[in-house]
Amino acid sequence: MAFPREATPKYLLLIGATLACSALALGTAFAQGTPTPQPEAPATAAEATPEAGASDVAGGNGDAASGATAPEDAATGPTAGQTEGQRGAAEAAAALAAGEADEPVILTAPKPDARRVYIQDPAHFAAVTQQYVIDGSTGRVIGMTDGGFLPQPLASTDGSFFAQVSSVWSRIARGDRTDYVEVFDPETLQPTADIELPDEAFRFLVGTYQWMNALTTDNKNVLYYQFSPAPAVGVVNLEEGKFDRLLEVPDCYHIFPASPTVFYMNCRDGSLARVDFANGETQVSNTEVFHTEEELLINHPAYSPQNGRLVWPTYTGKIFQMELTAEAATFREPIEALTEEERADNWRPGGWQQTAYHRQSDRIYLLVDQRDEWRHKAPSRFVVVIDAKTGERINKIALGRDIDSINVSQDAEPLLYALSAGTQTLHIHDAETGEELRSVKQLGRGPQVIMTHDMDS
Amino acid sequence: MNSATTLRSILGALALSAIGATGAWAQEKITVPTEEGVAATEVPADAIVVNIAKMKYQTPELTIKTGDTVYWINNEVMPHNVAFKKGVVDEGEFRGDMLGKDEAYAITFNEAGTFDYFCTPHPFMRAKVIVE
Ligand SMILES: [Cu+2]
Repeated sequence: MAFPREATPKYLLLIGATLACSALALGTAFAQGTPTPQPEAPATAAEATPEAGASDVAGGNGDAASGATAPEDAATGPTAGQTEGQRGAAEAAAALAAGEADEPVILTAPKPDARRVYIQDPAHFAAVTQQYVIDGSTGRVIGMTDGGFLPQPLASTDGSFFAQVSSVWSRIARGDRTDYVEVFDPETLQPTADIELPDEAFRFLVGTYQWMNALTTDNKNVLYYQFSPAPAVGVVNLEEGKFDRLLEVPDCYHIFPASPTVFYMNCRDGSLARVDFANGETQVSNTEVFHTEEELLINHPAYSPQNGRLVWPTYTGKIFQMELTAEAATFREPIEALTEEERADNWRPGGWQQTAYHRQSDRIYLLVDQRDEWRHKAPSRFVVVIDAKTGERINKIALGRDIDSINVSQDAEPLLYALSAGTQTLHIHDAETGEELRSVKQLGRGPQVIMTHDMDS
Repeated sequence: MNSATTLRSILGALALSAIGATGAWAQEKITVPTEEGVAATEVPADAIVVNIAKMKYQTPELTIKTGDTVYWINNEVMPHNVAFKKGVVDEGEFRGDMLGKDEAYAITFNEAGTFDYFCTPHPFMRAKVIVE
């Protein structure tokens, strides 16, 4: 099938276009609210700005042009520093004053780093969706990709590519269905592979769970889940650019790769399944049962393929941890994310992507709030930070707003990403202090999934 | 990609196969007396029955003779059905009607073989009918 990705470079193209278009492009593609000072902007540029016809950008607080505001709880207005829109306007004005011609080009995104973050917007089950590529360090949208119905995003651990498993229909939401895997170059955002899945190997259409699909640890195969007619895992060979085969698996869910040919799943019977698909075969074995029927494991565990740690909370905040290796799964002593007093006071985890794990510091982050037992998908306003080894509480961060999903960057001084599907805004915090640093607005209709590259080891 | 979800479409597919004139289809592998479920009270007293309860087919492996009719009776409020993957009873898939509590669904097996089936919304519910 043809590559439908032309729209993405066009957004970037606009950014390099004429002065008027630059302001427009900032509104379209650069929804952000960084109030950080930009001292490098020359004074002459600021003076020239009103003449460039961008007075609403330079004179106001930047909202009109950039579509973004500073965090409500931070200092706002022009005095708080220059917005991204103001910086762009000043640069363009300076270029105009200096007599520089405007040469529209297609931009490339900066090289991926540990602070790049992808925001997938399932858009409340819309037939087409979008993903925003954001530089977490600055809060700038650096690109976008389009997807079909409930696409499952994937990011290679080394930052060499990102991908998605997606579905489209010949007449938007009806007609012939095509499932496919698409691989993107991380700088041009152009598709480098488009691999169709056979009809009998259709994927599971479901609210986006981060680990319902995965890349093998060598980044050479995409593994995706099939629910109906029977539990199965599809293997897509990225090196050869083709669908390999469907692996028959027991009644188990999610995919956690531990080696190039071994992955684990969580089974209905309360055990994990270990699946080895080396040499064209499928060998399945089950671990011991590690939780009871009353202990409900949430749909959004955290997993680090880099060290094989699986962090799996229940509805009450009891956390099971496993070490997954090619050979076996080792279960750690479960820990409680919430104190006895908190649990008695109706504190429970809740939201969408509720769990994050920072590999270098061995810390767990969990979204929690006071809630009714069956309000587990409503947003939360707090994050508890836990030492994964001791179970000790390190911090309880008040986010100050309703948040549905969290994740962290995997660098040494991690950022805590807090995403609100309700306001379509990504809030970027210092993971150590909990302080909000910046935010990015206008991220689609219902952004829910946060994905990063664990490439800073 | 069309699914044979009703008796009519299965028979239609079979008719087309016959017109295809290879003679591979001597007879239908299954026939379905009624497309919709019936009240369990209508199941004959001497019928071969598979009860469905607690998210399970209570007879996971049932052996019958060619021409026998099997009745599935759902004993619980959780809706269940009987479905076959592509190629089991037809080239396409077959999806039986969803059954409410105390509803029954009948299938007559016309050919010998092993017929694996599952519940459409609960793929972990699986069982088989062996026709001798
Ligand atoms: Cu069922």
